[in-house]
Amino acid sequence: MLPSLAIRRSIFSPTLRRSLATASRTPLSSDAYTKPVNPNEPAISSTPQDVTPEQREALEAALRIDQAGEVAANYIYMGQMAILSRDRKTKELLQEMKDQEQKHLDVMNKLQAQHDVRPTVLWEVAKVAGFGLGAVTALMGREAAMACTEAVETVIGEHYDDQLKEMDQFSTSHPSIPLLKEVIKEFRDDELEHLDTAVQNYSQRAPAHALLSTVIGGGCKIAIELCRRF
Amino acid sequence: MASLRSRLLQVAVPLVQSHGFTRQALANSALHLPTPHAEPLSETAVSSLFGEGDVARRTLIEAWLDNARNEMRSSASNNIKDILTTRLQQNEPVLRLLPEAFAVLASSNSLPVLDPRPALSHVAKVADDACRLSGAVETGTSWYTRRASLAAVYTAAELHQLTSPETAYSFLEDLLQKSETLGRSFDEVQLFASYVGNSWAGILRSRGIIS
Repeated sequence: MLPSLAIRRSIFSPTLRRSLATASRTPLSSDAYTKPVNPNEPAISSTPQDVTPEQREALEAALRIDQAGEVAANYIYMGQMAILSRDRKTKELLQEMKDQEQKHLDVMNKLQAQHDVRPTVLWEVAKVAGFGLGAVTALMGREAAMACTEAVETVIGEHYDDQLKEMDQFSTSHPSIPLLKEVIKEFRDDELEHLDTAVQNYSQRAPAHALLSTVIGGGCKIAIELCRRF
Repeated sequence: MASLRSRLLQVAVPLVQSHGFTRQALANSALHLPTPHAEPLSETAVSSLFGEGDVARRTLIEAWLDNARNEMRSSASNNIKDILTTRLQQNEPVLRLLPEAFAVLASSNSLPVLDPRPALSHVAKVADDACRLSGAVETGTSWYTRRASLAAVYTAAELHQLTSPETAYSFLEDLLQKSETLGRSFDEVQLFASYVGNSWAGILRSRGIIS
């Protein structure tokens, strides 16, 4: 192959193009929380007063579940990294996903304070369970760890989607709800990206893949119901 | 109807000072409306609006507690001591009535036993509002521990105030300081435990027991 051709191919290789696209990223909805312009803006500093009690309850449950979910997700990746940190490539991959989950958690913490929501009582349980799940699947191998990510992100992605549908019913003119919906949309897409990453990294080659994803997915659904109540 | 009830309650709260937490205070509230009635509400009217017997008194006490918390919210400072002091000051005019009021709250209708829930919910609400007013942002377990410790401090200070109103404020300050020290030493214990854990992990790793 001619040298110039090789250069051209490397310039237009998909990986390079993707990193360029990431560098010049479009503004994200969560920037309103991570890089606030005016901290007293009503959309990020107050909670709607004109919702019905049922809607208020739904909003509180939604934020409580999301916050607990992000805590658990952080600890799942920490558990996986504790076991799989020997392989540099895997570690980078996990670190990248964990950084994103950390950002989600920071935003959720701000949302919890803004909407005056009680955090879940099962906070410490979520940490331990998340770390345990991550570490155990990682011990079963890299593919099993990816299968765990796949199963978890599938349930979380669906859950975020359900929340969006629920919030469409909210009868409020408060500016925080449209923003919240945009943030949840962004997070859902992030989680689905993690799902794609897991599949690209051969999650489906994990031993007993179907069984593993059923068990983990079921566990996540139980955790969601627990955090809704407690 | 509901708005008339809440308006009457609002008017009845200042009457507590002269009439106590009684059905009479509720009955007389009608005399203090913007367009006053000629005579106080009848017993039947009080019962149908606010509940039978002691239930009406309990309604009045709850309304008074809500009002006192509202007053606390108007405190300009975001220092936890100032906020709780503002709340304790609300107790002062009715201090002699409060022991009975708490007793009425704790007596339950259905069972002949004391019900601690109203008292607990009273201090929990005070602690929750105080946390919010202080502007502190907590998540996870510290959200609960902070509220629990503030509720405990406030309960102790309020009980102290019932017997010795003059020293209540310095007692509150002292308790807040102690609880802060306690919280700090707890954090230090956690930090120390993590050091010990890490050094054990290091020893085990150097022996090749864990990788």
